[in-house]
Amino acid sequence: MKKIPLREVAHSRSGEKGRDCNISVIAYDPADYRIIQDQVTARTVREVFGKITKGGIVRFEVPSISALNFVLADVLEGGRSRTLAFDESGKALSSLMLGMLVEVPDGYVGRADRVKMGEIA
Amino acid sequence: MKRVRLGSGSSWSRDRLQPAGDLVSRGNLDYLCFDAMSEVTMSITQSAMLNDASVLPYDPYLPLRIRPILAECVQRGVKVITNSGWLDPVAAARKVLEIAKELGLSQLKIAVVTGSVLTDRVASLGLTFIEDGKPVGDSRDRLISAEVYLGAEGILKGLQSGADIVITSRVGDACMYLAALAHEFGWSFDDPNQMAKGMIIGHLLECGSQLSGGCFADPGYKDVPDIANLSNPIAEVTQDTIIVTKLPGSGGLVSVATCKEQLLYEVQDPSRYLCPDVIADLTKVTFKQVGKDEVEVIIGDAGSPKTPTLKALIGLQEGYIAEEMVLFAGPGALNRAELTKHILIERFKKIGLKSEEMRTDFVGLSAVHRESTPRKEAEPYEVVMRIAIKTKTKEEAAKLGIEVDALAVNGPAGIGKWGTHSPGTRIRPIVGLNSALVPREEVPFSVEILELATRGVAA
Repeated sequence: MKKIPLREVAHSRSGEKGRDCNISVIAYDPADYRIIQDQVTARTVREVFGKITKGGIVRFEVPSISALNFVLADVLEGGRSRTLAFDESGKALSSLMLGMLVEVPDGYVGRADRVKMGEIA
Repeated sequence: MKRVRLGSGSSWSRDRLQPAGDLVSRGNLDYLCFDAMSEVTMSITQSAMLNDASVLPYDPYLPLRIRPILAECVQRGVKVITNSGWLDPVAAARKVLEIAKELGLSQLKIAVVTGSVLTDRVASLGLTFIEDGKPVGDSRDRLISAEVYLGAEGILKGLQSGADIVITSRVGDACMYLAALAHEFGWSFDDPNQMAKGMIIGHLLECGSQLSGGCFADPGYKDVPDIANLSNPIAEVTQDTIIVTKLPGSGGLVSVATCKEQLLYEVQDPSRYLCPDVIADLTKVTFKQVGKDEVEVIIGDAGSPKTPTLKALIGLQEGYIAEEMVLFAGPGALNRAELTKHILIERFKKIGLKSEEMRTDFVGLSAVHRESTPRKEAEPYEVVMRIAIKTKTKEEAAKLGIEVDALAVNGPAGIGKWGTHSPGTRIRPIVGLNSALVPREEVPFSVEILELATRGVAA
């Protein structure tokens, strides 16, 4: 097994919902849903986002599209209307999620290499 | 078989103008929907109007969007639906009629949906804030704005009246698309599955190019062709199928991946996506690539009956934010940025600055992901020190700029200034947003028709 950034396995988009933020994690390959389901959990996401997330972290599973959806409560310092944070809407938070490390088999070919081999999104 | 084509004209007020014109000319559309709001739109506009009588109560981009396309929309029979009416959709409609007249159009029928704005009475409705459970009435003195997200029924009534254009105030963004589909297919508001289908199509389209290559590119991972020329998306809907696509020859892409990202965008519990007209279960949606830039959206039975309440956004006066930045680069940049932070904090003590909150960031190091930024060993070449404060009064907020300006000669070595600016321009009022649930019976909508007759404007 080896550890690689989540970015090699999944893509992500984040957005605001009042004071909270949602961050999706979507496996590029439906066969890899199991990797994110096992390893991208409310606990591991708290390790990454804990210092800026004042409220709870809830994970929703959406296996129909090989995705997880995380809701991070009170992560925007009051929400877009009143935050002092530089990124007022949390749209840049998806990139923090994709830096998380996940464990995959040694022979696993990550997204960057798959793109070089011609895979498209 | 009946086929209805919906185009996404814009995702918010200041979205790009060009895509709508391209969709009208080449999209073979039946409807073009312009979302012209974000959450803060109404409260910021209301606040601006209190300070400046020349601020328009409707989207100032509306004339820029409508003028280039109006004649062609009328000629091709493309109906336009937009929430750019903001605080005064009647005024917005009058403006559009004025433009129509200038363009020499002989006929135009506009339906205006009002009823969303609650500013004058929200404090008396016995509501509590969702965020902290406190009575809304207790914030009466600092209340700036209040509006509910209306559903699709008002827009539908407008379309049924034969309007060419429907202009609304705040509605659920996706409701514009839902209303068009309900009108065309005769969908019933009592059928949650039909409502959910329309809401989900609207949800996919409401953020414009975010379905067709915007907010998606990550070079080497997710490459987007010809990204400077994105098309806004189109949905082609029949009784049985839904295809989302974009204009041939445009940049961007419509793929299963772009659709999945947008399906979950700004969603909390995907199995209970709360909308004014339905609760939609987004886990019942799947996507299938059926052609280049063509994705079939497959929606199972995804609806549950709507809730008895509508969501209101309530804007509260919460003081001021002031924000400044100073620039460093080269050897010791971070040390000098940190020294600047020290200087400012000492100065604030000396002058007795009364701030409610303060935040300092080192841009280039940890400003975007804030305290969750992973530790980096190497020192960045450039560091921008950013400081933002919240204060109760504008006078107090102004003290930040006074202290930062003075750093030009009193700060560390090699301190760069952030462009030129007039005093006070980096101070803004805060209209904090809270929300509340309002019983539906408290917010009836109404629809009125404004028409351009051959003799001119009649209201």
